Amino acid sequence: MIEILKAGLYTTIQDKGRTGYRALGVPVSGAMDTVSAAMANKLLNNDTEAAVLEFTMMGPKLQFKVPTVISICGAAFQPKINGKSIDLNKAISVAKKDILTLGHPEFGSYGYLAVSGGFEAQEVLGSRSFYKNITKNSNLEKGAILKLQNPSSEKILRNASFAIDSSHFSDNTIEVFPGPELHLLSKKFQKEILASTLKIGSQSNRMAYVMEGLEAFSAKEIITAPVQPGTVQLTPSGKCVVLMRDAQTTGGYARIFQLTNHAICKLAQKRAGDKVQVKVKKYYNDN
Amino acid sequence: MKQPTVTYFGEHALLLEWKPAIDEHTLSEVLKIKHHLANTCKDEIVEMVSAFSSIAVYVNKNVALQQFAETIKKELKKSSKATSITRRKVQIPVCYDVKYATDLEEVAEKNKLSVAEVIKLHMKNPYKVYFLGFLPGFPYLGGLDAQIHTPRKETPREKIEAGSVAIGGSQTGIYTTDSPGGWNIIGKSPLAFFSIKKDSPALLQAGDIIQFKQISKDEYRKIEVEVAADVYEIEEEVIYD
Repeated sequence: MIEILKAGLYTTIQDKGRTGYRALGVPVSGAMDTVSAAMANKLLNNDTEAAVLEFTMMGPKLQFKVPTVISICGAAFQPKINGKSIDLNKAISVAKKDILTLGHPEFGSYGYLAVSGGFEAQEVLGSRSFYKNITKNSNLEKGAILKLQNPSSEKILRNASFAIDSSHFSDNTIEVFPGPELHLLSKKFQKEILASTLKIGSQSNRMAYVMEGLEAFSAKEIITAPVQPGTVQLTPSGKCVVLMRDAQTTGGYARIFQLTNHAICKLAQKRAGDKVQVKVKKYYNDN
Repeated sequence: MKQPTVTYFGEHALLLEWKPAIDEHTLSEVLKIKHHLANTCKDEIVEMVSAFSSIAVYVNKNVALQQFAETIKKELKKSSKATSITRRKVQIPVCYDVKYATDLEEVAEKNKLSVAEVIKLHMKNPYKVYFLGFLPGFPYLGGLDAQIHTPRKETPREKIEAGSVAIGGSQTGIYTTDSPGGWNIIGKSPLAFFSIKKDSPALLQAGDIIQFKQISKDEYRKIEVEVAADVYEIEEEVIYD
């Protein structure tokens, strides 16, 4: 078991997400940066479905009640065990009563803590990912006790560590496919949008990242249609949002782009004020 | 009806689009094809989200999208002969008492009608559930009488309780979970529209027909208790298209 001593900012349990219920209007959820979350699990030889702890900008403080092995990936948080710095992207043994602090990230936004065997949170509609009105909690609070699935203090991959791909955090190019309504914009608009630099707005969260910089453009509303994580919507007043993991399942704004999953992960690690540029990718050469 | 177009929608999805329309004819075509694909492409499809005139088909990560698009196109041709689908007609009890209907008087005033007339117009027609979205279990309903169309509130409320029946522009809907929202609240239903404890968590589904039925405050409380104890029986009938 692990006790949350300080909750940090929007600390949640996440796994690969909730599939099969989108037709009922239930979002997919799941880790914002699935690449980093998967890396944390891989370091411990966990199942890819294992639930991890996700936190952002201000990490939680927690205490281990059992010895186990952990790994911390994603944003460059500054983890310490009992006040002593430990490495990111590495399998690390912890002892009973050890206190882990995460601090603030030097770069990036979302961090992931995996434990050997994964966290055991209640599975609701096939997933442990927190989501308001679906799971009991929408984020973890001080005093919460987290159960572990199969705690093991053995390092399965001996001294496992990964070198991180720094471009995952530093690269400002976001790869997108053309969205269903992109062709409805004039050729001039399309060209100008692609040349625009987009700034991430401060109201960004697990549901959507607000993008500033397209205020001069406009797209007609559409008859409500399916949307998914990575869908880029443009409103009649030039407001632009990229839907993220907790996105609703349908929407009424023009869908101008669709991010690749890798691009969603990269964007998730950006902060308010960061600038990105979209690069359109073709589905297939003959398309 | 013309076949929908099939395009890619990200790395692991296809989008089937009909001519944009909000009408029953398109709805039955959309549902018919969704039903057909669910039966014929089980191995490839993870889930589908249908809306007014389109379907997103989310596929397994190992499915080659280009090839699967061709399969879908072939299936679309076959599905025109597909058998009809059944629908449910569900009765939804609603209490229009002021206690639950915060904005009913305002809706009446804005439309130059009496409160009784608004209630009568709201209950008059059966509504079609086009699809679920916005909130878990939230039905997009078609069929609101034009006389009671009412613009959304300028400042959305921070919390609207689950079960609240509301009007937003030309639509009426039911808040299926507690949520912030900007629609005008004209009543409340004691039914549980979304429950993770149920095998099928959403009470309503795309294609259902619903009929609102007025109940008193006393009846509301009685049904509320029955719903909580999971003994309330919903009045419904099956319709064959």
